[in-house]
Amino acid sequence: SLLHIVIPLDKICLIILNQPLEKDSLHTLWSKDLRAGYQVSILNCPADGPSEVDDLRLVGFQNIHTWPFGQLAVVWTQQSCGALLRACADGAANHLYDITAGQQDSFLPDYISGDFDSITAEVKAFYTEKKCRLIETADQELTDFTKCLAIMVEEIKRQQLQVDTIVTLGGLAGRFDQTMASVETLYHALNMTELPLVVLQGCSLAYLLRPDMRHRLGVNTGLEGEWCSLIPIGGPCKTHTTGLKWNLDNQVLQFGKLVSTSNTYEPVAQGDQRKPVTVTTDQPLLWSMGICRDRK
Amino acid sequence: MLHALCLGAIGNKSKKLFAHKTDIYILARFVHLFQLSKVSLSLSVALLRACADGAANHLYDITAGQQDSFLPDYISGDFDSITAEVKAFYTEKKCRLIETADQELTDFTKCLAIMVEEIKRQQLQDMRHRLGVNTGLEGEWCSLIPIGGPCKTHTTGLKWNLDNQVLQFGKLVSTSNTYEPVAQGDQRKPVTVTTDQPLLWSMGICRDRK
Repeated sequence: SLLHIVIPLDKICLIILNQPLEKDSLHTLWSKDLRAGYQVSILNCPADGPSEVDDLRLVGFQNIHTWPFGQLAVVWTQQSCGALLRACADGAANHLYDITAGQQDSFLPDYISGDFDSITAEVKAFYTEKKCRLIETADQELTDFTKCLAIMVEEIKRQQLQVDTIVTLGGLAGRFDQTMASVETLYHALNMTELPLVVLQGCSLAYLLRPDMRHRLGVNTGLEGEWCSLIPIGGPCKTHTTGLKWNLDNQVLQFGKLVSTSNTYEPVAQGDQRKPVTVTTDQPLLWSMGICRDRK
Repeated sequence: MLHALCLGAIGNKSKKLFAHKTDIYILARFVHLFQLSKVSLSLSVALLRACADGAANHLYDITAGQQDSFLPDYISGDFDSITAEVKAFYTEKKCRLIETADQELTDFTKCLAIMVEEIKRQQLQDMRHRLGVNTGLEGEWCSLIPIGGPCKTHTTGLKWNLDNQVLQFGKLVSTSNTYEPVAQGDQRKPVTVTTDQPLLWSMGICRDRK
């Protein structure tokens, strides 16, 4: 059955993972400053009618006003935004501490969770003294990312926050098994929360599409990279798409048979807007795309 | 052939990287890369051993003085390369000689076809992988990733083994695993893995030997 969920996204929560951290991404997503605006917009709508909400925009995070640390690609709204909650997974705190050198006080996470085998004693002491919550999660079955997410979902409920999406910085680079572990967290997230969970690192974005709903992704911000892909990472996915250069016509995507990588957007006449990409799938399907730092 | 090439390719390195339970071919043109030590290593773990035609000549030469310890299960080909002496020797030792006259296919292809047949016939195909992880070049982490679909998996030699469990995204994925700890100075046991679907093994490798 199709869900009728419209997600006007301007309220995010932020999770930072233990990987090299980009200053611009951080500043853009972190701040409650009214001058900063951004939006991640992923609209899911019923197949039988157009939505009334016209805010299909995607992805990337830009600072519409110039920040001293540069800017990142974004979609932005009029409204103020800033992450409502910010968390670090274990050693991510080390990266945060380094990248915010000189202004750590403006970038204090709401909590740091994990088994604390990566965070340095110095960094731990610093954030403890600043009254950030340190939440030790010893469960060896789950990754720091999954545990951090679980706490965030709990906090959102507890504080009754209106959140549109959870954004994660890091998770797609470095050790191959940790990238795969991030994907596994995306799977778990489907059962942990209704909120979309988007992972960004470098020039890549990853988002796991729920089955049995029609996803509509706006790709017209000028901030999209050239490539996009649909990756049936957990098993075969019967897939239908529009808006791609190479669409799928109720075809099965499956490793060993057909995987859509190095895809791109349906070409349009010069000056025209790209059509949104629509995707339906019968199993969770990983959407991944390039994001650019500078608006074209 | 892949296994034979692997041996040839790592002939210049001082350690082998993997010890696979597998089948081995000795092909005439790659034998010059072999040294006896490596041949014996491969043969001792191979379930089936075959020579493609004139490869038997090379095997005979390279195992001089101990040919009896290196008898192939069969020699196949059109027998235009094998010498009469070598052919007689292995015939007398009861190795199977299988003449394959098809000119469309190479001796290698024909030899492989016979081996595939034998594997099926002898039901050797339990696809138990054995990975040697004792070179000192391994990183700390390893993982089994069921990309593409669920895999019923059984392992030994890992810190967190799988006991005929199903690996599947959304249920169980083995990342940040590592090797079964051993006493100081002892060698790590090889990692063994069986799976019913293709399963991605990924591990850390270090550039500098510890």
